[in-house]
Amino acid sequence: MRWCPSLLLFGFLAAVNALSSSGNRLLVVLEDAEEKGSYSTLWGDLEGRGYNLIFESPKNEQLSLFELGDRAYDHILLLPPKSKGFGPSLSPKNLVDFMNSDGNVLLALSGKSTTPSAISSLLLEFDLHLSTDRSSVVVDHFNYDTLSASDKHDVLLLPRPGSLRPDTKNFFGGEGVLAFPSANPHTLGDNSLLAPILRAPTTAYSYNPKEDSNSVEEVFATGSQLALVSAMQARNSARFTLLGSVESLQDKWFSATVKAPGGNQAETANRDFAKQLTAWTFKETGVLKVGKIEHHLAKDDITVEDLNPSIYRIKNETVFSIEVSEYNYDRFIPFTVPTNDALQLEFTMLSPFHRLTLHPTATTANSTIYNTAFTVPDQHGIFSFRVNYKRPFLTYLEEKHEVTVRHYAHNEYPRSWKISGGWVWIAGLWSVVGGFLAFVFVWLYSVPASSVAKGKSKKMQ
Amino acid sequence: MQWWHSILQLSLLASSALPVAASSWGFADATVSVQTKGAGVGAGLKEQIPSNGALSTPVPLGNADTLKIVLTSQEDKSAKSAHQVFLLLQDPGSGLDISYPFSVKGNGKSRVELTWKDLPTQFLSVSKSIDARILIGSFGSSKAYDEPAFQLSLARGADEPVPTFEVSRYGKLPEIHHIFKDDAQSPPIVITLTFVAMVLATFPILAGVWLYLGANVCHLSTAMKSAPLPHAAFLGSLLAIEGIFFLYYTSWTLFQIIPAVAAVGVVTFISGSRALGEVQGRRLAGLR
Amino acid sequence: MPTKRPSATPSSAPSPSPSTTPPTTLLSGPKTLSANASVSDIACNVWNQYLTTTPQRTMLLDAFMAFLVLVGGVQFAYCVVAGNYPFNAFLSGFCAAVGQFVLTASLRMQTSPSGSGEGEGNKSFSAAKAGKVVGDRSEGVKDGGVSHERAFADYIFGSLILHFFCINFIN
Repeated sequence: MRWCPSLLLFGFLAAVNALSSSGNRLLVVLEDAEEKGSYSTLWGDLEGRGYNLIFESPKNEQLSLFELGDRAYDHILLLPPKSKGFGPSLSPKNLVDFMNSDGNVLLALSGKSTTPSAISSLLLEFDLHLSTDRSSVVVDHFNYDTLSASDKHDVLLLPRPGSLRPDTKNFFGGEGVLAFPSANPHTLGDNSLLAPILRAPTTAYSYNPKEDSNSVEEVFATGSQLALVSAMQARNSARFTLLGSVESLQDKWFSATVKAPGGNQAETANRDFAKQLTAWTFKETGVLKVGKIEHHLAKDDITVEDLNPSIYRIKNETVFSIEVSEYNYDRFIPFTVPTNDALQLEFTMLSPFHRLTLHPTATTANSTIYNTAFTVPDQHGIFSFRVNYKRPFLTYLEEKHEVTVRHYAHNEYPRSWKISGGWVWIAGLWSVVGGFLAFVFVWLYSVPASSVAKGKSKKMQ
Repeated sequence: MQWWHSILQLSLLASSALPVAASSWGFADATVSVQTKGAGVGAGLKEQIPSNGALSTPVPLGNADTLKIVLTSQEDKSAKSAHQVFLLLQDPGSGLDISYPFSVKGNGKSRVELTWKDLPTQFLSVSKSIDARILIGSFGSSKAYDEPAFQLSLARGADEPVPTFEVSRYGKLPEIHHIFKDDAQSPPIVITLTFVAMVLATFPILAGVWLYLGANVCHLSTAMKSAPLPHAAFLGSLLAIEGIFFLYYTSWTLFQIIPAVAAVGVVTFISGSRALGEVQGRRLAGLR
Repeated sequence: MPTKRPSATPSSAPSPSPSTTPPTTLLSGPKTLSANASVSDIACNVWNQYLTTTPQRTMLLDAFMAFLVLVGGVQFAYCVVAGNYPFNAFLSGFCAAVGQFVLTASLRMQTSPSGSGEGEGNKSFSAAKAGKVVGDRSEGVKDGGVSHERAFADYIFGSLILHFFCINFIN
């Protein structure tokens, strides 16, 4: 239901060629108005995708993320502050509140300045860790841009990220090389809500350029432990992305020519990556929507009354189907499950009795219908059809539909004569009935044959 | 001489913006040694790592052992301290990597010590050997060094458990299929039929015993003569009730039999009281 | 039990006997028994006693009860041998036999002269002693007990209900 407003909006703004699935009010927090110019391509791209950019300085005291208790913006893009923090209106608590009410945040940092401790504590809320001195820079003596950083080696050249795991969808892939100037690295805690988007190369390490030492002996983290871009998708599917290098968004690096040591000159793909990153963070991609959910008994002629019954019997053959769409920049498209992954249905009472893979059976213009058939367990109680699809980079699906599972009714058991084991007792019962009738007959009409009895009864007279 | 040479080269590099022949990093006098705690000095493995090459045999590292690597970093064959002198361990299976920085002295002499405690659990649970590489690099234009040095194998004792680690990640879960209870099975049909025959065989036995005892239905005619209607109705309604029960057993529902039984029951009651009255009359007459 | 029998049978047997059976047959029973009679002797005696003292109608009834015991026994044996799979069928089949047996036993108690001996016999005695000449014992019973026919009607009623429940339960 919450998609409806955005769909309506989409109808009104058909001229705009793309739009986030969750609103277009984007707050850009930029301390230095002069810097605005160096990101003009990014602003142009965002506006071209339908965002309404609102530039604010963190020093602005009127700035408030909420208006009358409701979100005043749909998304926030935070550029690193020059001063000691973002100010009271953008305190970690306010930003967490903003995310709790489904707002998305993209936070860019820079290795050039010390990150304020307020930001560090905000990141700790999400289990993202900066180095303790908060002013580290990633260097890599093997993958740097020889044209712009031949001496300092702090412009990292990286291939576009592949998929995080074999079973996840890759929203950030593509051709080309990414340049990450003076990136501020971070590490990720052990948290299933977190996912790294871009890691540093194996040979990279971080150091504090302010420390004057010949060689680095204490490292915060090395190699692929260092993440340059990471995503945190909260339980309400609000998205937070941490970008280590704000400079990578600048016009200068959107179309720079770089050359790795021993490599050829190449154009950077930063602009494309920035589009993917902002699109993902602001919910233009990776947004799943559930359409119809239907479950019914497995039989051929299904009428409307047969759909989604509230009660099933044990051992019923049941069919469950769910319609899933994925939002892709400007519209919903049929959702396909990544290879090696599976959309699973659980039939649970406290714990799952069945956990089955849902297979795609039909595709509509903007959705895929997945279904599976199974036999209701031989256990009565309150069960629920549960689809709990939580994957990195995709908004979480959690559907729960309760049904009652009852026992056989009295007239649903096989009749006794159909069970050969019971024949003896059936015969016994009817023998008793037959014997009773015969006995009644005998009792009523039997003449005492023995003379003894006759004599006896005569004597009685 | 070497030193001078390198200084000369560096100054040349600095002066010319375009390095003609890029200088490169390397190392010399690299040794890897494994010392077991409590064993004497000099005991244990000690091998020389060739420059630009790797040891052919894996280096075993036990739980109580300390791995020690000493080398001198060089830039173009002359000893010099580099900004990055790392021992990089990489699990070839999972691709996980971790680096251990050497402690570097001013003259390039570097050393690193490593025990099991320093290794992350993910590495300790690896059964195969781990790739160990040496990274030497620094700022400037010299080509950094990154070559495999040796294979590190964890010499785990037979009784030492393999550590396990668990991470929770969203992903697909194993499928579950409910295991149904077996349906109850009827016994073999032969046994059933035998017992059915035994049950039915009791009928002839009953009949035989009754005949032996002299049971008869001689009074049926007298009863029919004296009170034909009540007797016929009584017997008939009794049979009817049992018949209705049989229909109930086969097909009828409870609400179908209730009115039928009620109707027949009234007949049974009325005719029964008459018929039994007649029976009582016979008994009082001494005929029973 | 067997040791008690000899003393129990004679004491219970004579009480109804004077009015129902010839004294000769009655007396022959206790006479053959001595204090240290063997078990088989006792059994034979009891059997003979039964054959001689029981009216034919009661014996027919006893035969029916034996039939019920047999039917119930076969069903129980089948349950032991082959398992109780349609358990409701076992319960209703077996309970039909047992219930019919119980009903028949109560019919026997109410109608048979020896079975109902204790209470009714004494009553008839007292009635006879009081000089009220009554044709049949059950005539005298009428005021306190029930007549044979009334007992039989109850028996039919009870049996029908039993059959209904068992058929209902056997499914």
